[in-house]
Amino acid sequence: MAEYKRVEPDLDFIKGVMESGGDTLNRCYQCATCSVVCPLSTPESPFPRKEMLWAQWGLASKVSGDADVWLCHQCGDCTAYCPRGARPGDVLGAIRANAIRYYARPRALAGILSKPSGVLGMVIAGMVLFFVAAALWAKVTGEAFPFPEGYVEYHKFLSVVPIDIVVLPIVGLIAWACYLGVRDFWGDIYRGAGLPLSYNGTASSPSFGILMTRYLWPAIKEILSHERFKKCGQTSERVKGHLWALWAFIILFAVTVYVMIYADVLGNLWPKAGFHTPLPLWHPVKIAGNVGAIMLIAGIWMIKTMRENKTREGILSSSTQDWILIWLIFAVGITGLGAEIIRLAQVKVLAYPVYLVHLGCVITLFVSLPYSKFAHLLYRTTAYVHQHYAEDIRAGKAGFGLEKPGRPAH
Amino acid sequence: MSKKIGLYIYTGDGIADAVDVDKLVELATGDLNIPVVRTHDNLYSPEGAAMVKADIEKEGVNAVLLAGLSPRYEFKDFDFPGVLVEKVGIRELVAWSHPVNPEDENAEAQKEHVQELAEDYLRMYAAKMGKAELPEPYKMEQVNQRILVIGGGVTGLTAALEAAEAGHEAVIIERESELGGHAAKYRKQIPIGPDYSHLADPIVGDLIARVQANDKIQVKTGTEIARIGGVPGAFRASLKPAGTKSEWDAPVPLTDEEKLDENGNELSAEDQKKKYDEKNEGRQDYMQEDPSAEVFGAIVLASGWTPYEPADDEFPHLGWGKNGVVTNWQLEEMASSGQIKRPDGRAVKSIAFVLSPGAKEDDADFPYASAVTSLVALKQAKMFRESNPDGRAYIFYQHMRTPGQYEYFYKGLQDDAGIFLTKGAVTEVKDGAAGALTVNVENTILGEDIAVDVDMVVLATGMVPTTRDEAVVNLAYRQGPAFRDLDLFGGYCDSNFICFPYETRRTGIYAAGGVRRGMTIEESIEDATGATLKAIQCLQAVDEGHAVHPRTWDYDFPDFYFQRCTQCKRCTEECPFGALDDDEKGTPKPNPTRCRRCGTCMGACPERIIGFKDYNIDIVGSMIKAIEVPDDDEDKLRMIIFACENDAYPALDQAARKGNAWSPLVRIIPVRCLGSVNVSWIKDAMSSGIDGALLLGCKYGDDYQCHFVKGSELANRRMENVAETLNSLGMEPERVKLAQIAIDEFDKVPGIINDFVEEIVGMGPNPFKGW
Repeated sequence: MAEYKRVEPDLDFIKGVMESGGDTLNRCYQCATCSVVCPLSTPESPFPRKEMLWAQWGLASKVSGDADVWLCHQCGDCTAYCPRGARPGDVLGAIRANAIRYYARPRALAGILSKPSGVLGMVIAGMVLFFVAAALWAKVTGEAFPFPEGYVEYHKFLSVVPIDIVVLPIVGLIAWACYLGVRDFWGDIYRGAGLPLSYNGTASSPSFGILMTRYLWPAIKEILSHERFKKCGQTSERVKGHLWALWAFIILFAVTVYVMIYADVLGNLWPKAGFHTPLPLWHPVKIAGNVGAIMLIAGIWMIKTMRENKTREGILSSSTQDWILIWLIFAVGITGLGAEIIRLAQVKVLAYPVYLVHLGCVITLFVSLPYSKFAHLLYRTTAYVHQHYAEDIRAGKAGFGLEKPGRPAH
Repeated sequence: MSKKIGLYIYTGDGIADAVDVDKLVELATGDLNIPVVRTHDNLYSPEGAAMVKADIEKEGVNAVLLAGLSPRYEFKDFDFPGVLVEKVGIRELVAWSHPVNPEDENAEAQKEHVQELAEDYLRMYAAKMGKAELPEPYKMEQVNQRILVIGGGVTGLTAALEAAEAGHEAVIIERESELGGHAAKYRKQIPIGPDYSHLADPIVGDLIARVQANDKIQVKTGTEIARIGGVPGAFRASLKPAGTKSEWDAPVPLTDEEKLDENGNELSAEDQKKKYDEKNEGRQDYMQEDPSAEVFGAIVLASGWTPYEPADDEFPHLGWGKNGVVTNWQLEEMASSGQIKRPDGRAVKSIAFVLSPGAKEDDADFPYASAVTSLVALKQAKMFRESNPDGRAYIFYQHMRTPGQYEYFYKGLQDDAGIFLTKGAVTEVKDGAAGALTVNVENTILGEDIAVDVDMVVLATGMVPTTRDEAVVNLAYRQGPAFRDLDLFGGYCDSNFICFPYETRRTGIYAAGGVRRGMTIEESIEDATGATLKAIQCLQAVDEGHAVHPRTWDYDFPDFYFQRCTQCKRCTEECPFGALDDDEKGTPKPNPTRCRRCGTCMGACPERIIGFKDYNIDIVGSMIKAIEVPDDDEDKLRMIIFACENDAYPALDQAARKGNAWSPLVRIIPVRCLGSVNVSWIKDAMSSGIDGALLLGCKYGDDYQCHFVKGSELANRRMENVAETLNSLGMEPERVKLAQIAIDEFDKVPGIINDFVEEIVGMGPNPFKGW
């Protein structure tokens, strides 16, 4: 007797995919041209054909348990070659957008952040928060509010202490949301790949040390060099902008960490020792920060231009989510650099408001990490890790004692 | 007619290199005594034609023999009124098919063979020219130009409109009380043109309005055919109210079984007659003319189809008989009445369409299903979805057939998020939880065996042609009221699907629409147009006195020498087109306008009393006897090939063109159809010392390719008599063989011929040689 799997298509899921840019989903007639032309698809688990079918049938759990969706960089090769105009590249993009919403905790936040008005609201909310914090901080420092006296120096308006007070709890919450999302995602894709479960039915994961050295680090190396992204045919030009933006974030993250140690920690431990911002322009960290800011703006501008062109050429389609992320990152870059220039120009009435806008944008971008398209950072990295880990399990090299020699993987 | 023959030998295209033309001329002017013999190296040109024309005008030539290109090439320049023109393809049959390499050590001997071959062809055709007469067309006194359309659905309506627009009066006979057929009962239909991606509103109302507004079209609803007698150009249709009996109902001949007694012995003629009379009591004899019959020139059969109704115990694994399991036609009726719901009143929120009933064992669709069934499933799924935005429609198919532009229909409906398609084998439909039906499907493209719960299951059953179960046309013909051998096509009304769409085996009656195969409305409209055109062509052919397809150039018709007829009835029974009726005594009554000039009657006649002006027993016999058979040369055996003009002869031409050489020992005589090959020709061949005979014709059987449906099959049956005859003469029956070849199998020609020649050479010479 055959085992019949009960199937009940989830109409809402299908509509969700169709509304997030995958409206061509149902055109697919399973010829598999997409999987053949895809430069990233693997013979062991070809995509995007199977994802198209699952999505057509509204098999939400199948789709969510599929890591391959995240191995796609939406280069558009499949879309270009699809004989029926089903645009698999766009559909996969839509599926990813849906998946991000699916793993978001709380989900409502993903809903808010998927709309331009929601993002704007979040920026304003952030500004209000920092404005209130600055007002309260002014009482502590005795500085004039909202325009401190003398030279324009942002720490007079809002020093690192109140910023940390506001930001660190948010960082904690967002980190927790990221963890929940990645954890659920990992469980789903592990089960979806049909890998062996532990005795109590849970997905296995490598120990922390092995995760870092054997899986995460190679994945990060791949990402840093954009090894896979570079294989993309139709939209290979996108790689450059994305690479610039990625490295800009890394540089800016390093600068932020340095400044946090320098100003937040050392500056508060020895307030008189002069560990405070702004750093002089000749300071290597300051130079790095400025280079990072310019790279970020240039990179995101390249991405924007490329996306506009490719959208016009019909190679990929762009959803609101795509534009939200691009403009948000652009806003962070331009307000950051703008705040610095205006500060140097000492235009007080402009400087502090721009700084406030910059803070609002940064906090919004940060908050949106697990909720917006920005989450691809989390899930694609996780998918890379999973792919390597799954390979090892199948080859009998990892998990549940399968590393024993001669034991076949299954 | 007193003939003066002119022979024109073409010397181009390698003919002059292959044969000694001077010797041919010598033979023609000498032994063959042909008064005018000319050669030309560019015969098939205006100059060549002018040369022939000059001879006709100045020399009085009235029988022209062109020796050169295959007779299959047509040159209008050589059509001279009142002049018999014959062609022998020595380019293909001699020069191209028998290349000689001068380097070969026996090149001289080979050349001799080729020369003899060419000379034999001249002898054969000179003999033919001596016997053949110029055909004179058969002219009816009056050709009725009205067209009878049987069936008032989309096909019939279109046929009548097309006929009327071409200037013919048309009468539509419709059994139901309303026009429109099934198409009048649809809520939405499959589109008939761009945009193909959406459902269309029914168009049949528009057709009906146009028919009713057309004063050349007469509509008779509630009417059916009692009988149709007569011939193309003058069919006599007796009409009657639908569902009633009439003395003019067509009589039905006894079946083969009915002709036997309880012990399986054939009944005597008298007993058969008695049984026949009993069977047809109250009906007028088929030869009796109904004085009140309406006269028509040609008929378009558009009687359509009926929905397939599964028997009560059919498809038990698909839940047939369960609450909520319906056929596609039942669903269609529900949809047009406005509500899709189950008999138990349960609302329908999900439907599964099952296209193939065979579970895992058989991937065939339902009986009488077609591409239309796939399209209808898509249409119905969409109709359901349009009224149920939250509904789900599953289509489980083994074949999703959406040919041509209908791919856009498929694509368009696929876009609906609530229509789920997968290939798969539906293994079971059973009661599920809470009144639902569970459909189990194996081998789906999802890569799994799946089960879905639905409220309704639709079996995508097929469209049964009306001709499967009844005669419809009710012909008062010797061979009975119905079309013959429709079981070959599952009851669809067709004769030879690939080559001759619309043709039936009754000349003057052209089938269109669902009676011919499952068709959409768009296809039915196109089909009706085609069939109407065929009907009009037929009227034109009858008017001009030539045959209909496939021998449209042929003005000849069979001539019977009745004084010697023995009433054996072979011709009346074997005629593939029912052209022959008979009288009380059983003497055949020819109906020339029903005839398609295949010559099957001629091949059947043991008394050899049937023939054509330019193709008869004597002509072909004389051609055979004209072959020069060396008495005592074992290297020069002679075989004859009767090659069917329709497929075998073109294959020979093509083989020659491609340089596929065959043995020079064979002489080829084209025949209209293997059915026209009379056993007497074989006897002629054997008695004139020819060593073997090969019948080369079309494939027969279920997938027959015979242009006259039965010719090669009949020839094969007659081979038994031939074998008997040969045996009685003390000869090997294997000296006569039948081979089947398709028109595109030119590459097989050398193999078939050379194997046969080798076999005969192995048997040695005909023992009667030299007698």
